[in-house]
Amino acid sequence: MGVSCVYSYPVPEGRSGAQVVDLLQKQVEMLGGIKAGTFLVDCETYQSVMLNTPKTLHILHNSEHPASCFAILDSGATLVADTLFNGLMSNLKNYYQARKGAKIESKGQRFQLSDFILKVGSVSLAGSMKGILVEVEYCPSAIAADCWNLMKELLQSLIGGVAESPPRSLKPKMEEVYTPATTMLQYLNHFNNFRTAAAMSQPAR
Amino acid sequence: MEVYYQVLTTMAAPSVNVCVEAAIENPIQEIRYDGQEIHVTPLSMSENLSKLAHKINFFKDESEEKGKPTSEGERETDEEKVLAPFQPSLWPWDSVRNKLKSALTEISVLYDVLNIVKEKHYMVTDPVSQEAPELKAPLQMIAKKKSLVIVCQILNTGSDRLKRVQAEMGSNTPDNFLWELLQLRKHWRLKKVHNTILGELSYKSAGSRFWQGGTFEVLKTSDLTADGEATNKKASLDVSIPSELEGVAYIQVEVKSVPDLMDLTSATLKMPASLGAVSPDAYWQQKLETAHNVLFCKELFAQLAREAVQVKGSTPHMVVGNQILTNVFPGIQLSIVLCHYTGKEKKVNLSPPKLDHNHVLEHSLHQLLRKVHSNNLNTSPPHPANAMLGMTKRRRLAGPEAYSRQDLLQMAHSESMLEQILKQTKHAVLRLRSMHVIDQLASSLQDPLLCAHWSCLNNSLESSVRVSITSYCYETNRTPLILIIGIDTIRVVVKEGRTCVLSFEENELRDFLQWQICQHHAQSVQSLAKLHGWQVLSGIVSSGHGDIEPYGTTSTVMLASPKGNIILAFHSSPVSGSRLSVKKVNTTKESNISPAVTASKWASLAGEFKEVNLSRLEGRNLVGKVDMLMARLTVMS
Repeated sequence: MGVSCVYSYPVPEGRSGAQVVDLLQKQVEMLGGIKAGTFLVDCETYQSVMLNTPKTLHILHNSEHPASCFAILDSGATLVADTLFNGLMSNLKNYYQARKGAKIESKGQRFQLSDFILKVGSVSLAGSMKGILVEVEYCPSAIAADCWNLMKELLQSLIGGVAESPPRSLKPKMEEVYTPATTMLQYLNHFNNFRTAAAMSQPAR
Repeated sequence: MEVYYQVLTTMAAPSVNVCVEAAIENPIQEIRYDGQEIHVTPLSMSENLSKLAHKINFFKDESEEKGKPTSEGERETDEEKVLAPFQPSLWPWDSVRNKLKSALTEISVLYDVLNIVKEKHYMVTDPVSQEAPELKAPLQMIAKKKSLVIVCQILNTGSDRLKRVQAEMGSNTPDNFLWELLQLRKHWRLKKVHNTILGELSYKSAGSRFWQGGTFEVLKTSDLTADGEATNKKASLDVSIPSELEGVAYIQVEVKSVPDLMDLTSATLKMPASLGAVSPDAYWQQKLETAHNVLFCKELFAQLAREAVQVKGSTPHMVVGNQILTNVFPGIQLSIVLCHYTGKEKKVNLSPPKLDHNHVLEHSLHQLLRKVHSNNLNTSPPHPANAMLGMTKRRRLAGPEAYSRQDLLQMAHSESMLEQILKQTKHAVLRLRSMHVIDQLASSLQDPLLCAHWSCLNNSLESSVRVSITSYCYETNRTPLILIIGIDTIRVVVKEGRTCVLSFEENELRDFLQWQICQHHAQSVQSLAKLHGWQVLSGIVSSGHGDIEPYGTTSTVMLASPKGNIILAFHSSPVSGSRLSVKKVNTTKESNISPAVTASKWASLAGEFKEVNLSRLEGRNLVGKVDMLMARLTVMS
């Protein structure tokens, strides 16, 4: 299992998201990356009913781990399960109801650059594009602290100053053995940011 | 009683007390801790008397008295009566009293009896009447006859029962059919459809998914036999096998070397020489088993043929009729033939030596198909009600462990039966070849001795052998090699622990072994230096001297004698053989030595080497020859 870092690339004013994605892809290809299919990371949110303090549960899927399903609570507790977990959620619809219009996903191209796997994905919430997420995974390493410098170099050549420091959710886990659940946690943080940004922009109407 | 005497002497010295004691009359019962002795209290007078009275044996006196006349007995009883009331209250006399009482009773009875016998006033003695005379003979005979008749009846009923049981066992009655049917049901699954009994021959219950199923019918032979036929050995039950499963079948596996590379086109449809056909009179179990085997072989061949056509392997497979041909190695071909002899073909006379059937691989094929069957049936636990069945533990853990796509793809890859049998064949061929090469070298070479120890622990895909190279009489210096024979490569572990991988070519192994032998020679010569006290100037395993060899490297050793004036150079290479050269240095001509030369050996660096004719040296092997030479040179220098 490799170490991956997820960053949100800000779309500069005056440019459309698709253009920026195209740009990033070209840059990756210039670095030497070879196209190796597509990827999809999606997130569904469930809200608990019949409780005073409503609890939120996020279910994430990653095409990189097709047999697994990730469930993350507000508190940060993560569960990695088989895909049959989705069926379990449908059984629990009396207790956990899906929040409508809250399905968010990151879809895009997947590139392979010898030991690295780079993913440039456009984030869409309810059909509209909200941002760009870039994920870089270094496969041979298992501990983030060991390979952070190497990854920083690659990231900075790709997305510049955004990758000054490790992602927020990765910082406390630099010395631990890296698990895929941490990747999903990073994705979730970004998704939540996008959601709040979308919610903030809406009341302006 | 202790008496002290004071011995008074005239001397003024203190007198010594002498103690004189009488012998102890009473035995000591107990000695207390303070030294006090407790004697057994002596018996008092009355006690003593009772003790003595106990010693009197009254019964003995009784028997003596019975013969005497009664008057004396009267007197005796009176005396005894007098004795008795003397001490009635004393406990020790109680038994004596009782004894005397009983004696009195006996005597009085005797007296009474005697009186009766003598006087005959109120009772007389009368003799007892004799028994009646014996029964007459006829009566006796009648009694005996009656008892014998009862015995006969019991035996007859027993024998009748046994006869009946035996008749049932041997007879051809409807009961026998049922008994045979019971036996049949123990081995095969039967079901009744309308009026007929049908049985199942297929492997479906064992996990097979073959389209062809075998249904056999159970018949009663009693309906079919004509009158007057001998029905001694026939069973009352017969089975009828479906026509496509008739006959005998087996899978013939052959590994043969074919001179041309792509000889797949010259496959000929093979029919075996006469196999044992199943006679129609055979027992139903035998018939069913042969049909079962036919079905199994058909399924096996169908599976292999399907895989041969569908699976895209590195080498092309060819399926011709009932034969599958694949190339195992260049020049080696594997042929799998389904031989099905139904008894209707003409006998083709094939000479037996041509059929080189490999039993091990046939057995492996059977095992592989059985494994496929059992995998179909036995899914690994747990068996949940509403989830996918048949997932292995690794696959089930793939979700929670978040396996990547690559990992899942690797897990999903499974080998087909044909691939597996190909691997086994490759390994078998490679192993035989390596064995052949090593044995050839070992038998042809005398100089270093090759010894191969094959490991007992091996499986169908891997074996290992340990080869050691030694020189006769110099066994302490041994070069070991470990060859691990895989599917199509051989991994070699050399003495120092380095490993190299050889391909399946025979020559490569042979060259490698030759190379190792040369290294062994060089090593041995180097070790001889220690024995003789020579100094090793250089010992190079892969030196760059000399011409380039087609394979292998040259090993060189240079030795200097103890005095330093003889230098020995040994070259050993697999292609050009071993060469030995000697350089002698004259130490006398050192006239103009400059002060920079610190030792005489530096002055004699130059010089010509003379080659030694190794074949004419004395010695059993190379090491021995060099040993002898070095000894000689040491003496001469």
